[in-house]
Amino acid sequence: MSQPSLASAIRARPWLQKMVTPLANWYCNAAGYRKLGLRADDLIPEESETVLLALKRLPPQEAYDRVFRLRRAFQCSLAHQLLPKDQQTKPSEDIAYLSPIIKEIEAEAKERLDLESLSITKRK
Amino acid sequence: MISRSAIGRHAQLALRRQSCVQPSARRGLAAVSTGETSFSYESADVGGIKVASRDVAGPTTKLAVVAKAGTRYEQLPGLTVGLERFAFKNTQKRSALRITRESELLGGQLNAYHTRESLVIEAKFLREDLPYFTELLGEVIAETKYTDHEYHEQVEELIHLSQKKLLANVSELAINSAHGIAFHRGLGNPLYPTSSTPLAKYLNAGSISEFAQDAYAKPNISVVANGATQEELSKWVGQFFSQTPATSANPFTSTSSTYYGGEERISHASGNAMVIAFPGSSSFTSGASYKPEMAVLAALLGGKSSIKWSPGFSLLSKAASAFPGASATTTHFSYSDTGLLAIQFSGSAKAIRDASTEAIKSLKSISEGSISKEDFTKAVAIAKYRALEEGQNIEAGLVATGAGLVHGGKPFQISEVGKSVESVSAQKLQAAAKALLEGKVTVSSVGDLYVLPFAEEIGLKV
Repeated sequence: MSQPSLASAIRARPWLQKMVTPLANWYCNAAGYRKLGLRADDLIPEESETVLLALKRLPPQEAYDRVFRLRRAFQCSLAHQLLPKDQQTKPSEDIAYLSPIIKEIEAEAKERLDLESLSITKRK
Repeated sequence: MISRSAIGRHAQLALRRQSCVQPSARRGLAAVSTGETSFSYESADVGGIKVASRDVAGPTTKLAVVAKAGTRYEQLPGLTVGLERFAFKNTQKRSALRITRESELLGGQLNAYHTRESLVIEAKFLREDLPYFTELLGEVIAETKYTDHEYHEQVEELIHLSQKKLLANVSELAINSAHGIAFHRGLGNPLYPTSSTPLAKYLNAGSISEFAQDAYAKPNISVVANGATQEELSKWVGQFFSQTPATSANPFTSTSSTYYGGEERISHASGNAMVIAFPGSSSFTSGASYKPEMAVLAALLGGKSSIKWSPGFSLLSKAASAFPGASATTTHFSYSDTGLLAIQFSGSAKAIRDASTEAIKSLKSISEGSISKEDFTKAVAIAKYRALEEGQNIEAGLVATGAGLVHGGKPFQISEVGKSVESVSAQKLQAAAKALLEGKVTVSSVGDLYVLPFAEEIGLKV
């Protein structure tokens, strides 16, 4: 379940990207998930068939790390604490590990839908 | 009396049908033939790939890529099955779903299977779609992605099912076990991994992908078509098979198979089977080591009747008919450098015990030369028919030719096979039978081991 995003439109215009990047960085830090050691992709809601399938397709190491991050974040949240600075997610670590797989699955589903509604003209 | 009006109406209808102009874009059945009907394959070398075709008249074509990657050549257990199941999955250019839907739209059928020596990926389609399917096969062997998720979601499950299927089939278990005893490694690898093979240790998308690099290298494959002209096939193969790797990083070693022999007994609760096997002859396409008398001996021992309502003339069917519940068949498995002449029994354990004793007696009688001339003539005729039919049969001919080409032999030439089978004499047959009984025998029994006999009990030495 990927969210609608303006990212590609912004990235296509360098001047716009230059303006928006500091704002985006500020927003990501302010959102606070990095201070709990999470990545942006950890926040994608799991309650959909697509995401469940994508989670199944994660490599074993990625899946393990994801569960570790989530549990650590829950623990922090319960204890009303933030992680020490060195354990917080750095911007360089905040990579999209799940959304490419989700996009792939969505593309598959779309292709299936397209092929299903295909109209056929006979060869002349 | 037929009423006049009825005749009149039918005549009118018939006339109307005749005068109706048929759309000329589609050719009728009679007009399709582009070349003379010939049952021999033409072969050529197109950019390092061996290409053979046979232009049989007809509106359909069968195209196959035959790779020298059967279970004999797999470096780890299950690789061949894994690679077979990965055929027509996602490629760099299009998805598995698109491949399926597109070929459905063209009325094509896609299939992949393997034998002990070859892995075959084939497509059947209308003659005019040759370019599309040549491109598809070229893409499948060179550009399949071998993704992890496809392996876990689709391939793995199918392999587990094939393992279960094998476990339930005692005849298959017995024949696999006989191959294992006779050839140990290489040809002795089971056709499908047995249910207790620790596949997870060896098999994953990565190892299959590596195997594919070697299996689908140019020197390792041949493209065979039935119902396409050689020029057209060569043209499209030259265009669409350019992505295929030119050499394999670690080419499959082809150490020639040695025959060992021995006995194996496997306990099984459902069903009984027994295989008695002897070293056989290599396939016709291998050239020098081909021994046509093995095919005749297989026909003479026989087992399954080729005519209805009669046990037939063959020695085994006569022997087995005395023991209701037992069935015996003789099959000659021929490979590129060796073969296995196998007598397979199935049925109730007691009937198998009696029938196998009888079968060995009849084999001994052949070796002593006490077969009638009539039986011998019949056996030669059947062996010749089988060999020719196999060549004419599109499927078997494709695989035999493809395998022959990759193993460095010659394509399956139907006329020569017939001649060599005819040249077998009764003395030659007797000598062959004698040599078999003097050598080491392979015996494999699966089922109720309390009743099934040991090799020694039925007069064989292992």
